[in-house]
Amino acid sequence: MTLLVSPARPGKILFLKDRCRHMLKKEFLTHHPIHNAGFTSEELLPPPGFGAVLARAGVGKTAFLVQVALHAMLNDFDVLHVSLHDPVNKIDLWYRELFINMARQSGMSRVDDMWQEIMPHRFIMTFKIDGFTVPKLEERLTDLTVQDIFHPKMIIMDGLHFDPSVREKLEALKGLAERFSVALWFTAHIHRHDGVTGGGLPVSLGPVSDLFDTLILLQPDGERIPVKMVKGPPGKMPSGRLFLDPSTLLIEKADAAEMT
Amino acid sequence: MIGHIERVRNIGISAHIDSGKTTLTERILFYTKRIHAMHDVKGKDGVGATMDSMDLERERGITIASAATYCRWRDHEINIIDTPGHVDFTIEVERSLRVLDGAVLVLCAVGGVQSQSITVDQQMKRYRVPRIAFINKVDRTGANPFRVVQQLRTKLGHNAVAMQIPIGLEGRFQGVVDLVSMKALYFEGENGETVREDAVPDSLVDEAKKYREILVDAASVFSDELTEAILEEREIPESLLNDALRKGTLSRELTPVFMGSAYKNKAVQPLLDGVVNLLPTPLEVRNEALDMGRDEIPVELASDPEKPVVALAFKLEDGQYGQLTYIRAYQGTIARGSTVVNSRTEKKVKIGRVVRMHADQMEDIEAIPAGYIGALFGVDCASGDTFTSPGTNLTMTSMFVPSPVISLAIVPKDNKAQINMSKALNRFTKEDPTFRTFVDQETNETIIEGMGELHLEIYVERMRREYGAEVTTGKPRVAYRETITQKMDFNYTHRKQTGGAGQYARIAGYLEPCGEADFLFENRITGGVIPTQFIPSCEKGFRAAMEKSPKLEFPITGVRVVINDGAFHAVDSSDMAFQTAARAAFRETFQKARPVVQEPIMKVVVETPSEFQGSAMGLLNQRRGMIIGAQDEGVLSSIEAQVPLAEMFGFSTVLRSATQGKAQFTMEFAHYRQVPQSIAEKIAEEAAQRKKSAA
Repeated sequence: MTLLVSPARPGKILFLKDRCRHMLKKEFLTHHPIHNAGFTSEELLPPPGFGAVLARAGVGKTAFLVQVALHAMLNDFDVLHVSLHDPVNKIDLWYRELFINMARQSGMSRVDDMWQEIMPHRFIMTFKIDGFTVPKLEERLTDLTVQDIFHPKMIIMDGLHFDPSVREKLEALKGLAERFSVALWFTAHIHRHDGVTGGGLPVSLGPVSDLFDTLILLQPDGERIPVKMVKGPPGKMPSGRLFLDPSTLLIEKADAAEMT
Repeated sequence: MIGHIERVRNIGISAHIDSGKTTLTERILFYTKRIHAMHDVKGKDGVGATMDSMDLERERGITIASAATYCRWRDHEINIIDTPGHVDFTIEVERSLRVLDGAVLVLCAVGGVQSQSITVDQQMKRYRVPRIAFINKVDRTGANPFRVVQQLRTKLGHNAVAMQIPIGLEGRFQGVVDLVSMKALYFEGENGETVREDAVPDSLVDEAKKYREILVDAASVFSDELTEAILEEREIPESLLNDALRKGTLSRELTPVFMGSAYKNKAVQPLLDGVVNLLPTPLEVRNEALDMGRDEIPVELASDPEKPVVALAFKLEDGQYGQLTYIRAYQGTIARGSTVVNSRTEKKVKIGRVVRMHADQMEDIEAIPAGYIGALFGVDCASGDTFTSPGTNLTMTSMFVPSPVISLAIVPKDNKAQINMSKALNRFTKEDPTFRTFVDQETNETIIEGMGELHLEIYVERMRREYGAEVTTGKPRVAYRETITQKMDFNYTHRKQTGGAGQYARIAGYLEPCGEADFLFENRITGGVIPTQFIPSCEKGFRAAMEKSPKLEFPITGVRVVINDGAFHAVDSSDMAFQTAARAAFRETFQKARPVVQEPIMKVVVETPSEFQGSAMGLLNQRRGMIIGAQDEGVLSSIEAQVPLAEMFGFSTVLRSATQGKAQFTMEFAHYRQVPQSIAEKIAEEAAQRKKSAA
């Protein structure tokens, strides 16, 4: 039998396996809490934006950003994760564990293929904190983009110290974000003894807060950790719609009752 | 042998390639007066290290086979196994660790915890081997032992604690400060053989106090007495601190870290003290065997030379006097003239010559008592066999043997080479469970399989040198395999009538993908539609069909077969008929169950000076590699990627030329993954071509 294809509407071969994978990915995305809350990772911080997740040690800054990264990866965006304290394997484990937990929570099994498919959208780069410089990162990034190896749309900068001298580094990174057109997320460690500015920001972040477009605060409150947007695109994300579960470190959507 | 088991240490020395394991062993042998001159691995004198006894090892400057030796230090007997660093010879490390009680993990002060250190560490964890670490090459430019201690914590998850701090670094490295005795140790004399104790230099007093505090704090977790002494601010006796450190080490909750430079003959003696003080005696290690007579229940062995013998043959070697079998006695005594039973073959074996090994030299002894390592001559067995006293039905637990990932066709040049090649292959497969060989029925070629290019290259070279077998080799072939991706029912009837008794068998059920095993067979036949005696025939038939896929002829894995219906004939059904039916049913159904080709994916770690990071990443990317990440360690960067093995042939040459010879890489099997459609088509074409040329 000959298959006739109209020249006006050229036929498209549908590979069932690919289609099945695509549908699985779509389903996974619909379960993603960020998606559920009505956002895309791009909306949360459009490139070349500057965002930070603020919390005390161990509360879940990295876990939160890894889930934002996974959301971007599921949408076929490349994410570069730069860590200044953990080795590659540890970061890889964060992604793997959170992906599996998210799949489990969504009631999805057999997600191995999907993991293999989204993995190429992630690149981990680690630097010793004292050896990290913005020109060095730019050099590495150029290596990746010029050779067509990797084109990040989002960079996660994990472990940068927000000390008084950080402004210079942040300004250089701002330039880099613009040149490469990437959204740059930071984890910002805040201390118990940090005071709060008038805008509700930890004092240590006050002097550089003008550089940021989005600031998210994770502050434990009883059994859950509310995701509070201190600064962000107007009307985008009312605080209290998302929580971080301290036992799984998964982002969860607050139910309507809690929100009221 | 000194006869006091509490003064025996069976240790292994393992590490990443080129960390200096063999050099360290050479120094240990010199300081313990086992040898009277030191030679370097690639030394100008051309002699080579004592433990690299094979010509090939000396030429290439790598350790290929693990070598055993022994020495004495402070009235203790130390049995040492020096193991290869290259991942292709990983089985040598596996079997050494299987029989050792403790280990020294050697790390490079510049490279730190490298990829192979991680693999070796995992192996040590698998066999629950307590270890101490030695940071070597502290005299090298870029050395930073404290960074390595930190990496031991972060990368390997060890509770690593420095036992010493260096006096000077890089070119100015002079000695170490021992944090237990708080004394400075200098190594003098032509070969560093004289250890001079002195007061801690003033410039290092504060640093030494700081690190001693960390050491004492870490040790206090293992000793209440030490904690009390700290709280009461009493003087801490050396013995108390050493006891606590030993407890922590034996429980594998603490890794004491020594440092020095074996090449520059500095700080090797304190490491030997550490081996004696901190690593376990055979009595302190719990060893188990399986009782074959009682459903393989684990039985704890006692390191008692008077009890019935339980010993493990962990390595075979073809020596000039016949097969040499390396033995670790776990219980009882293997004595010359005694009789033991090989628990695998259940054959009695009479013990002839018993020796102790010192690299390629040996010393005749009367017996190997429990807790010792030795070797036997003239015993026919395979690597991994257990020897027991008659009447003791025990076997040691098995070793982890990885499957080969690469194969190569070899063709002997002439008839003489053919005979010698057979001899060599017979020997190598007995020695090394990761080296396999078979004859391809279609092409009539002899195929050898192994763990990597270097692994096979070394065996081909050994064939030529040791057996005079000149062979030509084909292009290395990747061990592809196939699996199914969807469930498919089958219902097949095998019927044949050719005069006389016919053949009849009907078999029905389904195939489905299964991730947890290579092959699972489930019998759900009810009502005797297939008689019980023919069920094993069905399983056998399916297994046989999975050896080679119908089209591409790769092995098939990851399939679950369920049979739930069938039929038989009282006269015409037979074992053969059901086997044939199962084979045919599988072949017919396999094609419908959406088969896919899978290829071995290797974890590749490239270590390169940072300026070449971009080029190295480019090379990996060109090879269908998926880069997991890049780690910037100052002067050096390491890139971790997953790359199909098929793309890695010749990578070392390309990498060398792209990085001015400054980068190196290690590669080990990670997992199997489905090949992309375009590659699958190419593989199918190649398979068809091969079939055509064979016909």
